[in-house]
Amino acid sequence: MEMNRPLTGCTLSGSFDHVATDFAPIVASLRYQASALGLNVISNNNDAMGVALSFEFTTTRTRSVSCDIAKWSDAARPTSITENIIQAACGIMSVHGRVSGEPRPLGLQYVSTLTGALALQGCFAAALGQLRGLSVTSSNISVASAALLSMAQYIAGATAAETPETILPESISHPAAPPFMSSDGFCFELETLDVEPWQRFWAQFGISSAVSGKGWNAFLLRYAKAISPLPDELASALTNHTYQHISEICARTGMSICPLRSVKERQQDEHFMHEWVQGPWAFEFRPSFNSRNTIKKAENKLPLSGVTVIESCRRIQGPLAGHLLALLGAEVIRIEPPGGDPLRGMPPMADGCSVRFDALNRLKTIREVDIKSSAGKAEIKELVRYADVFLHNWAPNKAAQLGLDYSDFVDLNPALIYAYAAGWSTNGSADPFLNSIPGTDFMTQAYSGVARKISQACGTRGGSLFTVLDVLGGVIAAQGATAALLKKDLDNVGGKVTSSLLSAATLLCIDDFPDFDVLNTHVNSESVINGVFATQHGKIAIECPDRNAVYRLVDALGMTSEPDVAGFQQHLESLLLSRTAEEWRLILERANVPVAHVVEDLTVLQNQIRLQQQLSSDSYTKVMSPWSFK
Amino acid sequence: MSVKVSIPTILRPLTNDQKQIEAVGINVLEVIDQMDQQYPGIKEKLIAKGKPHRFINIYVNDNDIRFSDGLTTNLKDGDSLTILPAVAGG
Repeated sequence: MEMNRPLTGCTLSGSFDHVATDFAPIVASLRYQASALGLNVISNNNDAMGVALSFEFTTTRTRSVSCDIAKWSDAARPTSITENIIQAACGIMSVHGRVSGEPRPLGLQYVSTLTGALALQGCFAAALGQLRGLSVTSSNISVASAALLSMAQYIAGATAAETPETILPESISHPAAPPFMSSDGFCFELETLDVEPWQRFWAQFGISSAVSGKGWNAFLLRYAKAISPLPDELASALTNHTYQHISEICARTGMSICPLRSVKERQQDEHFMHEWVQGPWAFEFRPSFNSRNTIKKAENKLPLSGVTVIESCRRIQGPLAGHLLALLGAEVIRIEPPGGDPLRGMPPMADGCSVRFDALNRLKTIREVDIKSSAGKAEIKELVRYADVFLHNWAPNKAAQLGLDYSDFVDLNPALIYAYAAGWSTNGSADPFLNSIPGTDFMTQAYSGVARKISQACGTRGGSLFTVLDVLGGVIAAQGATAALLKKDLDNVGGKVTSSLLSAATLLCIDDFPDFDVLNTHVNSESVINGVFATQHGKIAIECPDRNAVYRLVDALGMTSEPDVAGFQQHLESLLLSRTAEEWRLILERANVPVAHVVEDLTVLQNQIRLQQQLSSDSYTKVMSPWSFK
Repeated sequence: MSVKVSIPTILRPLTNDQKQIEAVGINVLEVIDQMDQQYPGIKEKLIAKGKPHRFINIYVNDNDIRFSDGLTTNLKDGDSLTILPAVAGG
């Protein structure tokens, strides 16, 4: 299979074969992403210090860019981390656990994947900065900054000046929540973005309007709150019917349905192998013989300053992609419908704007345009004529229907990077079933196997109501656009890059897929001890990735029993109740055991010394740029 | 019928920054009409072509009016009417 890999000829070099355990999952994802982009990945024999993961990125036309990935935003605090320790310390466990009543790990190498993607994007941006006249030679991030970025909307909601949301896992009763079960044992997601299909669907099962109305409110807000307290009658009604029957009702009423599939089932899909080999993006480039494709000079110290992005996106994935480009210095002009994006008014609010909305859009210039009108389309084309990137996350085929597809812009601006943050396929060849259902986070979790992977790892029925894929999808959309911009400036081309929620899901499952061994990175997915434990006050997460860490834990706790002896777990749980979570954190950190006080209340994040540099408190707590450039 | 109407932040510039106002009407539409007389422009923010905007949710005592009789949902004295902008999907 021949793939279009934009950065062939560029190199990524680092001590990848001798990486500290803390960074192994990051390196695995980094290698896969880098290979998919065409980078030559070279592992050298430099000593890995364990404090940070360091590597260098070089192109044929720029000086090498060094990248350090630190553990915490305060790099002076190099305490041991694992995926789950970061999830605990940054509130991800808390948000994911809201629906089940207690903090839980996602069961995915989620922050590690985000970190790898953001680190690569920072390198590409730094090289772009050099081409545009800056002397930037390093791009640094931390694992914690990637985790906090994924939490930006939830942190905003919890800290808003006006009616902040207080949603603690243990404060929530546990009514039914998606996914649903059929009488013949299928577990499945339902989706609709409009109220009418919801009403018609539940009426078919004899549910009263009053009850389905209560359910709609819970269903509507699940993306924002990560809870979905449905009336019991709804889930109960479906357990009396077969999946086939429920599917037929869906077809009649306009509701969408998708079973929770396994990763193995996903591997049987017709286009899976192509998408796996291709990586999270589909690129196409064409020569740009346009004199305007001279490289624009940077306007300030940020590497994408002077780059213009036109964004026409809704909800989370696309706006986050635009936000990341803005954090790198791009001027992002956001197209909104006349009257503005309705999300602007969705509580909680601060300074007259939804804080969730502001968290993803605060750096953008807004332009209200009716993109369905002739005048609106003409206005978009005029904007795109002078832009570097056009970014959208419309439904399949909408761009062609609007006359705003890549082919409609090529003659207008041959140097344009047309970035499509899609839901399903990155190759425009998804099967008709997929194009007929909304490509939203929870549907994609179900279809891709991610939901089942989460449920198997943490003992829940379904995936996560934390928007796992919207966030990762936004990150890889921005990463793909940045890689394409670099290709444009290196090779004088224009082109299109498509990423999707489904391709983000595939990226999250690389350890399950074929040829993972070629990545040559050992990821110990089965830690010896890995859990969330109650203490005298608060909870702690402890993860011992190997037996040495277990022995350090045993020593630090003064335990006499051996880890393999029956009753060890009960002894550990009992012992941990004798001190507070914060006391245990200090003790175990000194012993170099990966540990974190599990953050349940998101408002406390801004008080954590090792996270503070990444957060800015104003009318709500904002998550700052994950990158620093020198 | 006299009801209390909770105004979302985004519409408060139209209600002199009041978070809650009192209005009168036998059903939701009458209340909105009366509000529009007092605070011109608010109706078009809530309704188009005889229906609530897609992203505007209107609740009478926590019950979404689209699951009752819509804009003709009847009101009783002391009912509370809440307007909540919300968008489905992620």
